[in-house]
Amino acid sequence: MTDPAIRIATLSKKFGDTLVLRDISLEVPRGQVTCLIGPSGSGKSTLLRCMAFLEEPTSGSIEIEGEPLGFTGTGSARRRQSPAELRRVRGKIGMVFQQFNLWPHMTALGNVSAALRRVRGLPRAEAEARGMAQLDKVGLKERAGHYPAQLSGGQQQRVAIARALALDPTIMLFDEPTSALDPELTGEVLTVMRALADEGMTMVVVTHEIGFAASVAHTVCFLDHGRLLFHDTPEKVFAAPREPRLEQFLDTYLDRGAQMLR
Amino acid sequence: MTWTLFELLLQASLMTILVSAVSILAGLAIAIVLSAMRMSGNAALKGFAVVFISFFRGVPLLVQLLLIFNLLPSLGITLPSLATALIGLSLCTAAYQAENLRGGFEGVAPGLIESAEMAGFTRAQSFFWIRTPIALRMTFPALVNEAILILKASSLVSVVGLIELTKMAQNLAASTYQPLPIFASAGLIYLAINVVVAFLGRRAERALPGLPSA
Amino acid sequence: MSFDFAVILARGPQILAGLGVTILIWIAGTLLAAALGFLVATARRFGGRFVDLALSLPVEILRGTPFLVQIFLLYFGGPYIGLRLDPIPAGLIGLSVYGAAYYAEIFRAGYQSVPTGHVEAAACAGFSRGQTIRFILLPEMALLVLPPAMNMAVILLKETALLSLITVPEMTMTVSAIGSQQYAFVESLVVLALVYWALVELANLLGRLAERRLSTFGTP
Repeated sequence: MTDPAIRIATLSKKFGDTLVLRDISLEVPRGQVTCLIGPSGSGKSTLLRCMAFLEEPTSGSIEIEGEPLGFTGTGSARRRQSPAELRRVRGKIGMVFQQFNLWPHMTALGNVSAALRRVRGLPRAEAEARGMAQLDKVGLKERAGHYPAQLSGGQQQRVAIARALALDPTIMLFDEPTSALDPELTGEVLTVMRALADEGMTMVVVTHEIGFAASVAHTVCFLDHGRLLFHDTPEKVFAAPREPRLEQFLDTYLDRGAQMLR
Repeated sequence: MTWTLFELLLQASLMTILVSAVSILAGLAIAIVLSAMRMSGNAALKGFAVVFISFFRGVPLLVQLLLIFNLLPSLGITLPSLATALIGLSLCTAAYQAENLRGGFEGVAPGLIESAEMAGFTRAQSFFWIRTPIALRMTFPALVNEAILILKASSLVSVVGLIELTKMAQNLAASTYQPLPIFASAGLIYLAINVVVAFLGRRAERALPGLPSA
Repeated sequence: MSFDFAVILARGPQILAGLGVTILIWIAGTLLAAALGFLVATARRFGGRFVDLALSLPVEILRGTPFLVQIFLLYFGGPYIGLRLDPIPAGLIGLSVYGAAYYAEIFRAGYQSVPTGHVEAAACAGFSRGQTIRFILLPEMALLVLPPAMNMAVILLKETALLSLITVPEMTMTVSAIGSQQYAFVESLVVLALVYWALVELANLLGRLAERRLSTFGTP
């Protein structure tokens, strides 16, 4: 039996004295789309950032395709991974941020090919050819020479997706990828994400786009106050919500989701 | 005041431009290293950078130049006056540039560093390829300003015996007894160079990639 | 080669005298520079387009040329047009005029920071121009103007060292003279550097205290 893409076991996270994630266990299967939903402050973004070790779990463990991420061992035997080891395991993960985080001093193509050149040491021509292929995939080949400040938010986020894909990750993490966008620009980003899901990419998506979660996700996880209250197929989660907190949350967001489905 | 005298001043101004340009670039390189030291976790490196920056910003450049000019020979190091001038000016401007860069480095959004981390950059690679270029871009106007300050400050390297614009003006003023037109001409040449540098700086600022509004 | 600081420190009274001249010229020069710079900025703000343009020329010339060239021009060139000055007055005038150009720009930025609506409101309330400056503009710009003004004062402190080159008997001239008399030039320069360093850090500290003091009463 192969390991799941991500295995999270009894994970907790504290910021100071505040417990933001409580005892979360979750397996993300390979080749599937998992959406994390929940009200703001529920801990869903923190959970996603733990999956990339951008936040350190206070306790518990995370495995990426069977390999520990960030720490090895548990309890008192827990040791921090060396930076090189952390980079190796993280190499399987691509991350897309809410604020795009494109490097402003590089063109779109520069952003997409930078790590291939500087980290992987590919020759410039090869790195740029690969970068160009990724930009083409997100429909932005003609914008290769533009700087981030010259691109719309939707275009910037698509470049950010291409940048992550250029490093051939097996898992893609999306942290509210459309929340910083004007409503009319969310569609182009969601289209790219849908295509990626159809290719069978393992994806974990923190989102408020209920419509996207309902139509693309294999599994929907509902977090509230740092707890994983509920995880199941979207049909079950959205058809008959019995949890009062989930119902309350869906009442707030479903209008927006319904608009997206049209 | 004849054309021949003015021509001598113009020739000497090439030395002023050379010394200033080399010092600005060398100072920039040193300033980046100082910034890395200041942001490193190592207390000794950090302390060195803080004291270096405070000292070279706290002591008049004239005193720094005289000190280097006299200290090196007494330690058995003899350097031509050009090298002494370059060392003095570079160390001084490095301290000021490091202080200017501080704001730039602090202004790099944490998300940009996280995205470099996720793309596999090591701390050093991220510093060199991501943080430094962004900090430089943000503080570019301060760099142009510093270039103008150093052009003016380069007038002090006359005290270590280098014949640049101000030293040439002094020599000519003493030999021709025409200090008024000669120093006025030297001033005009400095002014002209600075106007050109400021103009080119504004052009370059517009040509550089824009910063995100966020 | 060994260094002997005792021969320098033995001349303490002379060093202190040089330090006294440095501090007096610095404080007098800075106050004059700030006052002159304020007048220039005020004239540019209220004097109409022609005054504004006419005053921008000397300001840009002074800001675009080295202080050393300016004092050489004044001290060595002045006598040729009947301006024969002793070193100390020449140094004080040079420092004040040079600093005034920078202070004029600092105050100009200060004036520009106050919204015109506030000036119009003062006019409607019957304030004279002088009262508007005194009670509206100056207090409003104080918080913005103070940091660059203190910074400029520190720059002027360091610039006073150049006055040694036109034989003003300030600290750099006094201490380096002791150094050459005693064949202890490096030692004298080290002492000099340390005293300036301490003075500059002290001035920076006072500047920060003043800013904190002002920001507790000032408008945010």
